[in-house]
Amino acid sequence: MSLLEVKDLYSGYGKVEVLFGVSFKIEPGKSLGIVGPNGVGKSTLLKTIVGEISPKSGSISLNGIDVLGKGPEDIVRLGLCLVPEGRQIFGGLSVTENLQLGLTGRKDKSTSKKALDKVKEIFPVLTSHAKHQAGMLSGGQQQQLAIARALIADPKILLLDEPSLGLSPTVIKDVFDQLKSIISNGTSVVIVEQRAHLVTSFADETLIMRNGKIQARITPEDAKDELKLKHAYFGSDN
Amino acid sequence: MVQAILDAISLGGTYALAALGLGLVFGVMRLVNFAHAELITISAYILVVTNDLPLIVSFIIAAVVTALLAVAMELLIYRRLRGTGPAIMLIASFGLSVLLQRVYELIFGALPKSAAIAPWMSGEVKVAGASVTISSIATVVITVVILLIAGYLIERTSLGLQLRAAAIDFKTARLLGVRSNRLIAAAFAISGVLAAIVGFIVVVENPQVSPMYGVNITILALVGIVIGGISSLRGSALGGFMVGVILSLLNTFLGNARVYAYSWLFLLVLIILLVRPGGIMSKANEMERV
Repeated sequence: MSLLEVKDLYSGYGKVEVLFGVSFKIEPGKSLGIVGPNGVGKSTLLKTIVGEISPKSGSISLNGIDVLGKGPEDIVRLGLCLVPEGRQIFGGLSVTENLQLGLTGRKDKSTSKKALDKVKEIFPVLTSHAKHQAGMLSGGQQQQLAIARALIADPKILLLDEPSLGLSPTVIKDVFDQLKSIISNGTSVVIVEQRAHLVTSFADETLIMRNGKIQARITPEDAKDELKLKHAYFGSDN
Repeated sequence: MVQAILDAISLGGTYALAALGLGLVFGVMRLVNFAHAELITISAYILVVTNDLPLIVSFIIAAVVTALLAVAMELLIYRRLRGTGPAIMLIASFGLSVLLQRVYELIFGALPKSAAIAPWMSGEVKVAGASVTISSIATVVITVVILLIAGYLIERTSLGLQLRAAAIDFKTARLLGVRSNRLIAAAFAISGVLAAIVGFIVVVENPQVSPMYGVNITILALVGIVIGGISSLRGSALGGFMVGVILSLLNTFLGNARVYAYSWLFLLVLIILLVRPGGIMSKANEMERV
């Protein structure tokens, strides 16, 4: 049984259809990339998976449980957390308060303290800024806070929407290194990115989306062939 | 002078409580709940009609009924309209406000109902050589205590943290596991209890309760949350407090020109909004480095 299985998903906003029959699955402890140009439906896919948007048809199951119709707050408790695009940390709250909010979606509250200590170990910068207003952190620190806040809920699968957005190359490398350590601890990771090269070499498998559909599935080996990657990303006409 | 300062603080505190109640609901639903006025009104009505009972019993009944009415508003009306857009929610709250006024008219009559609530509060005591009414001291004490309790609830508890986060970004709060239905119902219940307290404070001073009794306070509290910063609970309370203090001081010091108190108040509000369009507390919330 796959950890997350999306089957023949059609979704969108009102009458505007964005996704057309998207299917994929991810196994425990694996990483999956989803790339594609702006506007192809990557964020819509994530919003549908986390329950922010109701799909037109299709199915989404998490650990064998059908999550269609469930709200984001229920889906978090089933072990799926999203780090939204633009981080969406609570800038007016302190770093500690942001992390405490992450505990809301945690099933086992008795180990909350341990969970807080564990994420501070992964992201030591958060300890030194614990009492600071989160909005005053740098972009990279905010991204680390957003990931830490999601990890505190003890997810089986972590979804990240454009984690490299607005970050310098050095900081992006740090963030992806931290994601590697998260995967090595057994958490599956799905990364949605516009910048294909960041993900294709990182993820066990990368899906390339165009026009609301998955057009290609590539492995890190395939990604070494730049022409193949370019064709998959932009279509064979380019 | 002592009486004037106490009056200003007590009116400021009353509007701060009303504004906090409105701000809590706005924070979680982006809804300006005009029917908050009718929560204040029902509390005052209940205190009048149960005046034969001991004051504390009478107040507990008022608080429970008001909180239940607030939760019923959310369950029966607002929950069903969630996602329809702010304009529809706003119109619904107007409609509910008018509907409840007519219901109160049917139940309690169109003419004001009155009773001497806690008559001992109209007595006077000497403070710093000046005579001040017990009711103004009691109001200051009650509002300070309630604001401290509300401050503790909002700043120090998990529910408070969720309410503050939801006030900033409800969508992200839900992504973190904040249960929307439960949080919104809690916000309405707390808002109802705050409205009941406001109802108690105002009915002691003015026991002539009519169907539109809470409207004036609610409108001024709304002005307060706008100047305080509509997305900040602290801002809401501070804005409400400022409106009450300014209005009270204007009424005291304008003498015969007090008929223009509202004109001066709204002129000040305009100036504040021109200088800080997002409200006094907006800067703190928008402090983002990146």
